[in-house]
Amino acid sequence: MSVVIDIASWILLLGGSAFLLTGGIGLLRMPDLFTRLHAASLTDTMGAGLIVIGLALQAGLTLVTVKLLLILAFLFFTSPTATHALARTALLSGYSPRLTRSVGDDGAA
Amino acid sequence: MFAAATIGILVTMAMALTRAFMGPTVYDRILAVNVFGTKTVLLIAVLGFLAGRPEFLDIALVYALISFIGTVAVLRFVRHGRQSRRTRADESNEQESLI
Amino acid sequence: MIDVVDIVLLLFLAATGIAVVVLRNLFAVVMLTGLFSLLSAGFFVVTDAVDVAFTEASVGAGITTVLMLRTLALSTRKEKRTGPPALLPLGVVLVTGAALIYGTLDMPHYGDPAAPIHRHVAPRYLEESMDEVGMPNVVTSVLASYRGYDTLGETTVIFTAGIGVLLLLAGRRKRNGQEKSR
Repeated sequence: MSVVIDIASWILLLGGSAFLLTGGIGLLRMPDLFTRLHAASLTDTMGAGLIVIGLALQAGLTLVTVKLLLILAFLFFTSPTATHALARTALLSGYSPRLTRSVGDDGAA
Repeated sequence: MFAAATIGILVTMAMALTRAFMGPTVYDRILAVNVFGTKTVLLIAVLGFLAGRPEFLDIALVYALISFIGTVAVLRFVRHGRQSRRTRADESNEQESLI
Repeated sequence: MIDVVDIVLLLFLAATGIAVVVLRNLFAVVMLTGLFSLLSAGFFVVTDAVDVAFTEASVGAGITTVLMLRTLALSTRKEKRTGPPALLPLGVVLVTGAALIYGTLDMPHYGDPAAPIHRHVAPRYLEESMDEVGMPNVVTSVLASYRGYDTLGETTVIFTAGIGVLLLLAGRRKRNGQEKSR
């Protein structure tokens, strides 16, 4: 039984790390603020969720798991809200998304 | 397995740091700091398990809340701080030069 | 593995410090200072000082960033370009730093139990703390009871600094409010 839990934890932790790395690469390589926002926030939340569940499987049914699930709940609620606030502020401050593929500023990938 | 997750999180933190150094506009930097905050939360959780002392999760909880509040506060400042400081003419001149 | 995390976090700290000095856009510098606080708090967690990390997180990553942004609204956005590099101060700093590093070569090893610092009052604090103060955390008992005057002085300093900052910011905001309501 513990072997099953270990294998599940391995898969979840590695999957979460892969999502986080994908988000990081997207943060570096995407050409525009809004595309970077999209790449970073979606993979952020998903990777965090997978890693936290993988850790909770390792901890079993203790107080540590309750704290981990609280962290997960907070991240689920606050990360998309912060992303929305950032996108809205950027849009309202006059930063329009780049809709055509043009070379020049900002290192178009 | 915790070592692999730790290395993945550290590499992602390096990438977020690079974006914070490079980002041409202020929103890129705010995004990078937000991502960095979430990664710090995960790093503390995984490090707690790596060192065999998962009781450090309280501080990860505190970070998750504080980084969110900090991001929203910075965004409110960016939105309203500019308007209360500049006149209309200055604002329309500023829209090309995004800080 | 923990050593690798230590080294990587310290490298990030150094890189962020260099970026704070090199960048001239003050907004970016404020965000990077928040990042610096997050990194140092992570470093404190790695070295087992969790209460210090709590304080660093709430003060550095949250409040200091917001206060510096409020202050930034009162001044310019870009740092002024400085004059030609000053070589004499650089030389003085390098010589002093080299002398200090040379002085540290003589110190005992980190954590050496035979070092003088561990033989004076530290054994007494460690042994008598539970009876005299009754707190299981020795760091807290040293801060709050054995060296209480220290803590009182620090709290006074921080309180004064906080009042000063609030007075500075409140005065300007009143003036801005009168401008806006024209």
